Formats: sequence, C-alpha cells, structure tokens
Amino acid sequence: LGDPQNLKCVTHNLHKILCTWDISSTGGHGQTDFCYTTNDLTPQVCFKTKERRVEIPIPEGSTTVTIKSSGTAFPTKEFVIHQKDISFVPVTPRILSLMPDFPTSTINLKWNDNGSVFPYGLDALWQIQILRKEATEVVTQVTYYSKLTHEDVILSWNWTSDMPLECTSHYVKIRCYINATQFVGHKDWSDWSSVEVIPGKDTEPGGSGVFPLDPVVAVGSDLTFCCVHEEDQRITNMTYGSKSYTMMQLSSRSHAIRVLNASVSNSSGTNVVCRLENGLEGSVVFVGYAPDTPQNLSCETSNFLTIKCTWKPGRPSGLYGERRTKYSLFERTSGKNVSCEVNEVSKDHVCGFPVLPDQETYDFILGVFNPIGQAQSSLFVDITQRVHPKTPEKLTVTGNNSTSIQLRWFINGSFAEVRLLCQIEISSSHSERKVHNVSVPGRKSSTYTAQLNALHPDTKYQFRVRCSAADHFWRWSDWSRGVEQTTSEA
Amino acid sequence: MAAADSPSAALRRDLCSRGIRLAGKMRADVVDLLDAYVEQQGLDASASVAAVEGLPLAAVERWDEQTGTQRLLENLAAYRAFRALLAQMLEEQREQLGEADAGLGRALAAVLLQVSAFAYHLEELLRLESRGIPGEEEEEEDGPPPPPRLSLFEQKLRGLGVLRELAQWAVRSVRDLRQLAKPSPATGVAPGLAESP
Repeated sequence: LGDPQNLKCVTHNLHKILCTWDISSTGGHGQTDFCYTTNDLTPQVCFKTKERRVEIPIPEGSTTVTIKSSGTAFPTKEFVIHQKDISFVPVTPRILSLMPDFPTSTINLKWNDNGSVFPYGLDALWQIQILRKEATEVVTQVTYYSKLTHEDVILSWNWTSDMPLECTSHYVKIRCYINATQFVGHKDWSDWSSVEVIPGKDTEPGGSGVFPLDPVVAVGSDLTFCCVHEEDQRITNMTYGSKSYTMMQLSSRSHAIRVLNASVSNSSGTNVVCRLENGLEGSVVFVGYAPDTPQNLSCETSNFLTIKCTWKPGRPSGLYGERRTKYSLFERTSGKNVSCEVNEVSKDHVCGFPVLPDQETYDFILGVFNPIGQAQSSLFVDITQRVHPKTPEKLTVTGNNSTSIQLRWFINGSFAEVRLLCQIEISSSHSERKVHNVSVPGRKSSTYTAQLNALHPDTKYQFRVRCSAADHFWRWSDWSRGVEQTTSEA
Repeated sequence: MAAADSPSAALRRDLCSRGIRLAGKMRADVVDLLDAYVEQQGLDASASVAAVEGLPLAAVERWDEQTGTQRLLENLAAYRAFRALLAQMLEEQREQLGEADAGLGRALAAVLLQVSAFAYHLEELLRLESRGIPGEEEEEEDGPPPPPRLSLFEQKLRGLGVLRELAQWAVRSVRDLRQLAKPSPATGVAPGLAESP
C-alpha cells in the first residue's frame, strides 16, 4: 500500500459522486480508512474499503475527504473536493427498442431518459448516430432535445433512411448531455450507448433482390436502389430504365445506385435491373403525381333517383391499374360513402350517388387518393335546384284541328318534387321559329301534354320539346326528337 | 399408284394442314406480341429468363422417334398450359395497367384465343383417332399449385419467357403436324397415329 493520490470524482446523477484514487506504490490491496464530511455541521462519516473507489453524497460546495491505509505507518491524506472539481457525466443511456418499418424505410428508436434521477426541468440533449458498414460509417448524427421531468420518460424518435433498410445493416447508438445549470463542475457527454442494429438483407443467407421492391414514388424524388446478391456473385451493372448508373458498394453483398429527380414512368413502370454473372434481379418503380384537387365539382340529378357528380381531375397521375387514382364520394349529412368507378384513361370523370329519402340537400366531399397522395373537393347542393331532366321521349301528336295541336311526351325520372318548365319549339315553312313555354307539375316517370293554339290551317309544322325545372332553373334537357304534323284545312 | 385415302386419313390430313396454318398464324402473332411486350414492359429483348414454373419446353429429345399420339398429347398438354399462363398474364396485365395499354391487352387476349382454338383443334385430331383426351379436370386436380406471388419484375420476365417459349412451340407444332400428315412410305396412306414416328 502507499500514499493515496490523483483523487478524481465524477457524478452521474447529481446526487452521489464516485471518487477514485491511485496509491503511490504497488503492493497488495489492503484496507483503506475513508472519511468525509459534507459540511462543518455534520459529523464525519468513516468506513473501510478495499476498493479504490467510493460513492458519497455530492457536496453543496465542498467536502473534506481523508484517506488512510489501514494498519500502516503511512499518514492520513486529506483532500478538499470542490463542486467545480467534479465532472458531471450522465448515466449512459440504454436503447429500449429499435424497430424498422421496411415499407417506409423508417427506424423508430425508443429510450428511457432516466429523468427520475435528476431534478425537474433540466434540459437534456441526445445525440443519435446512424451508422452503416459494420458501424464504421456515420450516415447521420442528430441532436434531439428534451426536458427532464423528474420522472422516467420513454422518448421516441423516427428516422427515415435515404435507402431501403433491406439494403444493408443500420446501426444506432445514443449519448446524452444534461445542461444542469446549477451544477458548477465540468459537464460532459455521457458515454455512447451500446450499438443496436437493424440487419439488412445482405446479412441473410439467400437474401437477394433489388430494393425497394415495386415502389410507387412521386415525380422528382431522389431514389436509391440496391441490389443484394450472394457473396460469390459478381455484379455486372445496375440500370434504371435504359440507363446504367455508377454503383456504390454498401457491403460485400450489396451495391446501390442513386437516381435523382425521377421522371414520370410509363404505364408498366420503370425497370430497375441488376445484372449478375448468372442472372437478373429487378424491381419496377412507378413514378407519378399525387392527385390534383378536383376542379369544377358539379352535381345534378336527371331523375331524382341518382345524383350524378362530375369534375375535372387535373393533371393525370401517370399511375394505372391497381395504383390508379381512386375516387370516393362521401355525403356528410347521411354519412353515406360511395366509391366511384372511374376509368383512368377516359376523359370523363363521373360518380353516381343515390338520392336519399327525405333529403334534398347534400354535403358532398369528393375524396381522391392514389399511393402518392390525396386531395378532396367539397360541394353543398340542394338537388331540387340541380335538376337536369333527361331528353323527352316519344313526342307524339295526340290531337289536332285547323288551328291547334295537342302534343304528348314522356320523361323518364320521378319529378314529383318539382314543377317542370317545358319549351316547345314550333317551326314551319312560312313563319319564324317560335317557342311556346308550358309549366307542368312534375310526376313520377310520366307523360306530359300541352296544347298549341293559334296555328295556321293546312300548314305543316315541326315540333320538338325540352324541359327543365320550373323553379330554380339549372339546365335544359336536350331537345327531343322532332315530330311533324299538318293542321287540317279550315 | 397411290392407294385411295380412307375418309379418316383424308380428314386427318385436312385437320393437320389446317392446324399447320393455325400454328403458323399463331407464331406470327406471338412474335409481334413479343416485340410489343418487350417494348411496353421496358425489357431488354435479350434478357435471360430463369425457369418459369409450369412452362412446357418446346425442345424435345429424339423428336423423330415420337409416335403421333405422343406428339398430339404433348402438344395438347403444352397449349393447355399456355392457356393458363396467358390467362394469368392477362389478369396481371389488367391488374397492373388497367385501361392504360388496352392494345397490349387485346393482343394478348387474341393470342390466348388462338391458343385455345389450337388446343381444341388438337383434341379434334385425337378424337379422330378415338384416342382418349385427357380431361382438363384430371390435369387440374394434380395440376401445379397456384404459383407464388411474384414481384412485378419477375412477372415481366415470366411473361417474356412464356411468349418466347410459345413462339418455339408454334414452330414445333408445325413440324409435328407435318410429320403426322406425311403418308407412310409403304402404303402411301397416312399411318394411324400410333404407328407414325
């Protein structure tokens, strides 16, 4: 044993300090008498130890420590420890969980902030490192801020990789720094936590392929594709579409290419092909647009049975088949939702919604979504003010004499809720085309009649009819087919 | 002087020659379809394709030693397999492209129709020889389980492999049917299926 020296004290929790010292000469590990006083008022506390480290309460200002090798002639050595001489190194954080979400290439990290150990309200900084290549290459280092609450809180943080997590193993470690403003000693970062890993496919026996597999991404995206292959397979090249790209080696079994500002793909997608010595691996990427907000949303009914909504879709998404843009019509009042069958190639975008019993006003939300994004438009409408009758049919002459003619026609649809205004166009060879308006009570799938008077005898006339809602005009129906009739002689 | 044809021999020769024309037309359409498919799918025409599950191979050893029945039965089994493979391709095409490339879908459906017609034609030839025709059900019962879900790129390559092999089969079918239509050297009459090499 010998003379105690190089006394150093560190605190991990601002409550206790851990002091260590050296002994000037070698020799066995005999007992040491260790005494300390925290302040002048409290009696000295002593105990024996074989260790060269002791844990004692942290002093407010300073504390006097005496160390004596038991049973030897060496003198007692006294040290005064001031708070400023103490280092504050927080406890090394421990990663509770590290969860990959492969579809989104996102890693979720959870750890305990050990807040219960510290006074309330301290600011904590957490440095998180993501590494690759056997944890030798730092991909990113992020500082996360939190406030300690004198309780243990599970903190959570997400990181999205610029490449699929399958491409290669990702390693994570964390350390912390606590800004204990009251503590006057030296403050330092904790040690790094142990490293946690998300294994890549390049660590799996037989794990091979191009990743991401068959993704759908937005135009303009920067993409990283990797080719995972067997150790003994030599990779010839990787192409995106028809272009070959410079490869980056991620590991002995994984190579990657980086494609910037991806342009819209054709309908069958863009192939990402990895040519190996004895085979091909590939993926198909679909690059398209998120749906535009639908424009000119308009809804009307032609028969009070179905409401037909139409809209302008905006820019085509460039996505087809099962990735196409899909539409649904939701009506807030009734809570009813209808999915719309829209053909992605045809120009007209139409969706039918059933007229609901005892409901005239409809609060529509047209939802639009595809794998890249979504949008919506809304429209509040009273369908009695959006009547666009079907073309009148079976226009026939049911009676005539020298100066008047009776017409009858049929309109499909139930218009019991409204009055109809019908326009009868009258033309003949020797008088100007005239229009005769007639207002009739609407009925359910019914025929309507009108009588035209003040006609000229022995004259050939052509008639056709169209109808609309009498109150709250919205749109005329198309003209019916014409019918011809000659008035009888006077 | 060549012996007069028996009615069944004449009918078989007629069926064979019509089959040859069918197979020739099918081959031309498959080659066109293959070109359109390669372009539409963004593939490299020379891409190597791994073995496709359930794909009948046209190449056959000791082709000239096969009997007529063997030829017809192998042809029939192959075109039934192609009918299933093409139907699956068409389904995948609709799933992936929807209405986007109706042209390719129509061409694929047209070839599928021809394959079905050719399979029926082969059945006619087998019936002519009162040969039992393997029922579809028998085949489906122990037929291959539904293939594992392939990635889109693997689906594209499989389609390439199917169309390539179908083009080869059309060539082989023409040769097989010519072989069947040949009169046997001795009698000058087209031999029954069993005997014709």
